[in-house]
Amino acid sequence: MRKQLPLKISVSGVRGIVGESLTPQIATRFASAFGTYIGQGQILVGQDSRPSGVMLKKAVLSGLLATGCQPIEVGILPIPTILFLTKEKQAAGAVVITASHNPLDWNGLKFIGPEGLYLKASQVEEFLDIFHQGEFTFVKADRIKPVIQEKKAGELHLQKILNRLKVKTIKNRKFRVVADCANGAGAILLPQFLQELGCEVLFINTEITGSFAHQSEPTPENLKELCRKVKEFKADLGLAQDADADRLALVDEKGRTLGEDLTLTLAVAHVLSKKKGPVAVNLSASMVIEDLARKYQVPVFRTKIGESNVVEKMLETKAVIGGEGNGGVIWPEVHPCRDSFAAAGLVLEFLAESGKTLSELAQGFPKYYMIKDKLSCPSELAFRAVLELRHRYEKETISTLDGLKIIREDSWVHLRPSNTEPIIRLIAESKSAARTRTLIRSFKKELVDIIKKLSL
Amino acid sequence: MKLLKLGISGVRGIVGETITPELVINFTSAFGTMLAAGPVLVGRDTRKSGPMIQEAATAALLSTGHEVIDLGICPTPIIQYLVKKNRARGAVSITAGHNSADWNALNFINSDGTYLNEFQGSELLDIYHLNRFSQKSLKKVPRVIHEINPEEFYFAWLKNKLNLEEISRARFKVVVDPCNGAGSKFVDQFFDLLGCELVAVNNDGNGYFPHDPEPRPRNAGEVASLVKATGSNIGFLLNSDVSRVSLVTEEGETLSEEYTFPIVASYYLKNHPGPVVTNLSTSMMINDVARKYKVPVIRTRVGQSAVIQTMIQEGASVAGEGSGGLALRDFHPAFDGFVIMGLVLERMAVEQKKLSELVKELPRYHIVKDKIVCPPHRLHTLVAETRKLYPGEEINSADGLRITRKDVWVHIRASTTEPLIRIIAESSSPNRAQLEVDKVVSFLNRLIG
Repeated sequence: MRKQLPLKISVSGVRGIVGESLTPQIATRFASAFGTYIGQGQILVGQDSRPSGVMLKKAVLSGLLATGCQPIEVGILPIPTILFLTKEKQAAGAVVITASHNPLDWNGLKFIGPEGLYLKASQVEEFLDIFHQGEFTFVKADRIKPVIQEKKAGELHLQKILNRLKVKTIKNRKFRVVADCANGAGAILLPQFLQELGCEVLFINTEITGSFAHQSEPTPENLKELCRKVKEFKADLGLAQDADADRLALVDEKGRTLGEDLTLTLAVAHVLSKKKGPVAVNLSASMVIEDLARKYQVPVFRTKIGESNVVEKMLETKAVIGGEGNGGVIWPEVHPCRDSFAAAGLVLEFLAESGKTLSELAQGFPKYYMIKDKLSCPSELAFRAVLELRHRYEKETISTLDGLKIIREDSWVHLRPSNTEPIIRLIAESKSAARTRTLIRSFKKELVDIIKKLSL
Repeated sequence: MKLLKLGISGVRGIVGETITPELVINFTSAFGTMLAAGPVLVGRDTRKSGPMIQEAATAALLSTGHEVIDLGICPTPIIQYLVKKNRARGAVSITAGHNSADWNALNFINSDGTYLNEFQGSELLDIYHLNRFSQKSLKKVPRVIHEINPEEFYFAWLKNKLNLEEISRARFKVVVDPCNGAGSKFVDQFFDLLGCELVAVNNDGNGYFPHDPEPRPRNAGEVASLVKATGSNIGFLLNSDVSRVSLVTEEGETLSEEYTFPIVASYYLKNHPGPVVTNLSTSMMINDVARKYKVPVIRTRVGQSAVIQTMIQEGASVAGEGSGGLALRDFHPAFDGFVIMGLVLERMAVEQKKLSELVKELPRYHIVKDKIVCPPHRLHTLVAETRKLYPGEEINSADGLRITRKDVWVHIRASTTEPLIRIIAESSSPNRAQLEVDKVVSFLNRLIG
């Protein structure tokens, strides 16, 4: 494994260690580059709860002001809320000071374009070009605008979701909920959101001090405390946000994690039951999505991995629901981005309208078994190995959109070289756990053989 | 031509050209690295570029581990006073004083509340050029404290320093033009304290300068006509950070900014005799005042830092410059426009004289000031070249060169704030001073080509 560099500039922005590699100088240069790239509009500036956030925010504000932008400070807010507000306020873009789930001494900057959408790969390239060249269009002193403060902007996001839900029906169920905010920015808005939905809530990990009680990925291993609390509190369900509050995982009333995939399944099933329309998900999401689409006779579009790829396809196809199998639900009626609040609202409405328990709802879908695995492999070999595999399986139904996905009657396997680490990711799904294990085992072995041959 | 002036106490330039966020962060990081751990004050004048610079300066101070006390819009002398009051490690005042609105500057203030001295200034530049700053990992949230009405402490102090009784009894009517700079609004509070009736113009503090914020007759037209129209006793013109003042008499005469210093000094020295410090470019009027009280005059390089550091070292009573700024030993070591306005009014009240009468007590000199724009890299060689005009004469070279003759003196120096050569001459005869300036100007113009 390559050692992680202390400064990482990538498609999703820049990250580094404060005081070592991420300095106010770098932050202000990035902000000046962004201001130069976006032009002189209004730019939202938000942050997560890290203690270095204030310092970096000031450096960012200066860079934006100097390039003639008008910063709107929105304070600590979840990522989906900032994406939503960028569009709602008709801002030209946003800068978020966050390093999602990196350790406390890290921080970073994320850049959001007009309409509240992440920059596309080509846009990032243009923006980084400006950054690297270091030539910024600073405006004259009389063109510098004042900073605007918006301290309660987050409520607009909640209101937009609540307006699209049957709030009364949900309230009548008087749900008992345990919510785990993973010490992230979700804790700013989730209490108000669940209160408006008439839930009785036990919150855990809501202190947003910048240090995290557990790894923020809402995977079963990280949700042990939540599962226990759901049983103790005799809750109807448990909700787990990640640190950015864009992903949501669920725990049923028996205190069992449902697997991140199920959040998307529930959201898709519920939205399609009310509004028929295309669905877009990435290549790694469960095939239960196709089952649901068949039931409602709507098309499914599969995309490359990455939130912006799903969003782009959803906008292009006017999809009514979509997202990722990792608990990232995208409900475009609210905003085309992964949004744990929208996801939680849809799940609660589904529960309320069906009158069922969460475990009953979960059982109502065809059962598939998914396994995610990875294989260490130098980056340059990874691409050649996957290409070789592609030649061997050309006769089958395959997708080469992102690595190689082989699709069979009631199973599939997806092999994908990682962009950020020297590994190949393997994901397989079928109707039985044993078969999925066999699929993973055989493809892993085949890849190992190919890599061995290639490196001779 | 990119203009960036590094003085010993700060950095000055045109916003967006040389004053950029990164430059501000680098300079302020050097300052933060130089200071011992502890709070640092940050304030600014009303320029529209102020918040951009303040955010960058604050980021740099936080990243070097300092707590920041944000004073918002605040005149420099008040910031200087508050450094000691708050026991802060230092302060950054964001203002370009008398320069036009497209300029701005970082002025670095030490824990004594004075501009950095020569040694501190060169240490700052060394750290800046080394480009190695003590940036902290910030595992705890660094504090930014927003001070509400920080001026209250200052005015409470100043109130006890002035003879309020005499001033308010005189029921003065005054006109003031803060040029929409940092003095705006503060002047309301100040003259209210003194019991004066105030006619304020350009007092919105919106950062739009109706004229260059330089207190001198050229910019005093509005004040002069208001003094006459309202029958006021005096008019005051301020620069953008209230460190300089020029005066307008009750007759509407716009006085040269050279008058401010001798008018205050000749009142203050009466009760506080002691040496007088001024720079090489300031009018001989102050020598006549000093002669009256039998105190010496010490001439230094130009600039607030130089004259005030000398005042402290020599235990002088007053330090001031012909540009309209001055400091007094028993007040605080800062050019302070409020102190100046207060003492001019106090003198008028105590001596029961009109400003025009005070002016008549001073000898009449004719001072001529001119300037030549010059590429920054040629400034000092060109100034040195003018030596050739004065072969065999005694030359003071503490700051450019100054030649003193029986009937005239002339001072030729490179500006520390702009790419200019300044030529100043003074004589009791108007033609003589003009002649001397013209001689130097035409010599320099030939060299520049």
